[in-house]
Amino acid sequence: MDPGQLIETNLPPIPAPIWFVQLFKVLGFTLHAVPMNLWYAGILIALVLYVRGGEHGQTFGRRLMTQMPIILAYGINLGIVPLLFVQVAYAQPFYSATILMAWHWLMIIALLIPAYYGVYLYSFGLRSDGPGLTAFRRAAGWVAAVLLVVIGWLFVNGMSLMVNPHAWPELWKRADFYGATLGTGSNIADATLWPRWLLMLGLAIGTTAVWLLFDAAWFASAESDQYRSWSLTLSWKLYTASMVWFAVAGTLYVITGWQSFKQMFGFPTVLLTLLTALAPGLPWLLLFRQVRAGQFPSRGVAALIALAQLGVLGVNAISRQVLQNIELKPHFDVLARQTATQYGPLAMFLIAFLLGAGVMTWMIWQIVRPGQPAAES
Amino acid sequence: MHYPWWYVPVITSPMLIAAIAVLHVLVAHYAVGGGFFLALETTYAYRTNDREYLAYLRKHAQFFILLTVVFGAITGVGIWWTIGLASPLATELLIRTFVFGWATEWVFFVLEITAAFVFFYYWGRLQPRTHIAMGWIYAWAAWISLVLITGITAFMLHPGDWLQKRTFWAGFFNPQFIPQMLARTGGAFLLSSLYVYLHASITCTSERLTNLVEQRSTRPALLGAVLILVGGAGWYINLPDSAVEAMFSASALNVFVGLIFVATGLVFVLLYLGPFRNPGWIRSPGFAVALLALGMIGFGTSEFIREAVRKPYVVYNVVFGNQVYAEQSELQRLRDGGYLEGGVWTRQYVRHNFPQVVVGAMQQEGGSSGGHIDRQRLLELPPEDRVKLGGVLFQYHCNDCHAIARGGYSAAGPLIQGWSRAMVRDLIDNLHTARFVMPPWCGTPEEAELLADYLMSIAPPRPAGMEPAPTMQPAQRQADYRQLSGEAQLCGEAQSGAAQ
Repeated sequence: MDPGQLIETNLPPIPAPIWFVQLFKVLGFTLHAVPMNLWYAGILIALVLYVRGGEHGQTFGRRLMTQMPIILAYGINLGIVPLLFVQVAYAQPFYSATILMAWHWLMIIALLIPAYYGVYLYSFGLRSDGPGLTAFRRAAGWVAAVLLVVIGWLFVNGMSLMVNPHAWPELWKRADFYGATLGTGSNIADATLWPRWLLMLGLAIGTTAVWLLFDAAWFASAESDQYRSWSLTLSWKLYTASMVWFAVAGTLYVITGWQSFKQMFGFPTVLLTLLTALAPGLPWLLLFRQVRAGQFPSRGVAALIALAQLGVLGVNAISRQVLQNIELKPHFDVLARQTATQYGPLAMFLIAFLLGAGVMTWMIWQIVRPGQPAAES
Repeated sequence: MHYPWWYVPVITSPMLIAAIAVLHVLVAHYAVGGGFFLALETTYAYRTNDREYLAYLRKHAQFFILLTVVFGAITGVGIWWTIGLASPLATELLIRTFVFGWATEWVFFVLEITAAFVFFYYWGRLQPRTHIAMGWIYAWAAWISLVLITGITAFMLHPGDWLQKRTFWAGFFNPQFIPQMLARTGGAFLLSSLYVYLHASITCTSERLTNLVEQRSTRPALLGAVLILVGGAGWYINLPDSAVEAMFSASALNVFVGLIFVATGLVFVLLYLGPFRNPGWIRSPGFAVALLALGMIGFGTSEFIREAVRKPYVVYNVVFGNQVYAEQSELQRLRDGGYLEGGVWTRQYVRHNFPQVVVGAMQQEGGSSGGHIDRQRLLELPPEDRVKLGGVLFQYHCNDCHAIARGGYSAAGPLIQGWSRAMVRDLIDNLHTARFVMPPWCGTPEEAELLADYLMSIAPPRPAGMEPAPTMQPAQRQADYRQLSGEAQLCGEAQSGAAQ
């Protein structure tokens, strides 16, 4: 069966230019990736350090896990943007793929609720006026960590299936019920699945490493200098490990997905590929510079390192977008989609976006301006 | 049609949407009304310098965040998940039409969670004025979210001028928008007061505080009740005729409508008897639980009815429940070319599994490509294959509303129990005239034969021993079927003879 025949090609126009859709898709995914990385790898690291990381490890574990409910809320919220825009321009492959694995896809919601409450249970146990970290609360934290990693895997599964229509006929056949699907498919046979997932985990470790330092520089004024010094060293070590991980998983990803990746090595796309591969070097160098100088970074430098990591995630998101278009192009050329721009509603959104950014800035200013105490965790 | 159909045994996949939507609205309305409660009451508590009340409100804010930011937000995302899986064409249309409405709602969602977290986590650490401002930012952002989403959900029930103009604004400001917005706003006030009563009945230790909470929450509840009545009346007046008729013609919906009146009426009566006349009652968690449970029953049922009265459409006059555009040209295309040929996935299914009915196809590895399904050849298939393809038609044409066998949701088998084949065949031809809540038949006569074969295969026989006996005996059904098989065979022989 020709998988390309499974995608409707006679499509109505989309309500915004494709560059706009892709811009918000990439921007949204980049912003979503920050908190998502922190719960993906961060919770595991925090839980391990809380138990085995000594005094400072415990401090970091406490700090990150008390922040985690808020991180989760923003991560879920920011995830809405790419998911909304993917459905604008990529509805055909997106819905088809997720329907084929419907139960797995739906499981994301079913797992997210207990994971979220697990994080809250653990987090409230860490509060100074809380009930303490009982065995039940510790277990809730670990269950949440595992569930969130599983959710990440399910996401990678869905997004990789979307760009792999070749797998659809077989999945359909296996779960066929009178031509309908039982929705029990999974893209597990796709060789790129595991490297993609591992690559994301590598990035997540790097983001957690940078957050460790950023948090120590910006929000941990009540902690000791020793803690800050420890955080710098651990941040650099974790980031180094994440770079190695990223390189290995990235190489595996390129090898397993070479059919599509080879276009990423043509000119001028190769420049983006190189930038993506080398990007983690910048935060690492900035961290290394601080470690060599034996000096905890100022808030400005910590912000610069965080910005560099945001750049790493952004470049990765752009590369993924380009690769996604390449993978789909034989069956679904998104760049060729016609547009009928809804100017009025688009303006409404942009105005709301700017006004919302203004109100957000005001709210954040109220809590970070000098003289404001830290949040109750 | 454009997407694979997801078969969920017993309940059907669209019922998952209803299940998650009902769970979501029970919390989402509290997320709006509770926001106003917290903003208003924090303002009041600061103004009267009531420390005890402030301490209670802080506890309530924690409960509120745990329920709305987690369960409310994730079930909201869950609705997206399920509509994409169970109703993809309609979802695609809604997103294409209202993407900027949703994107704008997302902006307010970000404001909501930021304001909620600052409001709760910085409690006692902000200037009262700033703290109160955070509460009001939350409340208004949540309400604007409600308004934006209501425009879209109301569109599904009555698209209004959109059918002619096809613009965002024409779709958003549809006839159902204002009534639903009023009713939902009222529902948010009423439901949040019921949540407050329950929370206060469990957590308040002082009688003064309980009385205060109760006294302060009763007015919003009564205002909510009035808004529900006004909005509900507007909703009813602006319903398309088919929705009104659907509501009163289905026995299950009749029961649900009755349930709404009983549950809502009881809530009003208990509000009057309890908080209004006998303030002490609210201190009993049992009373508060009963009140909230009745409110939830009323709410959940009305949400279910809102979904159900749209039948046979997902979006009134735009998309049928079975993911077919409700346009004459689309119907004609499918009736001329065939439902199986017209659907992206059904076409490939037939080409791959029944290449013998495809003409003009090019054989290649893994199946055939190109060509088209020959309508006549469908009738030449052996009976088991006809039933199989009839099953495919059932899945893509009917399973959005009908499960298959006994015990399933509105199961097709029991609905035609004991029918003759001729009756079934006649029903297929006259699907939307026989029952206006059904979509029209969208296939060829030959495909109707296949669907009839399948339906006969899942219909249980008429129970034995019932008098007077029907004019068409069960045995006749079998004879019908044999005759059909024979005709198909003869037809096939004639065709092959002609070909020779």
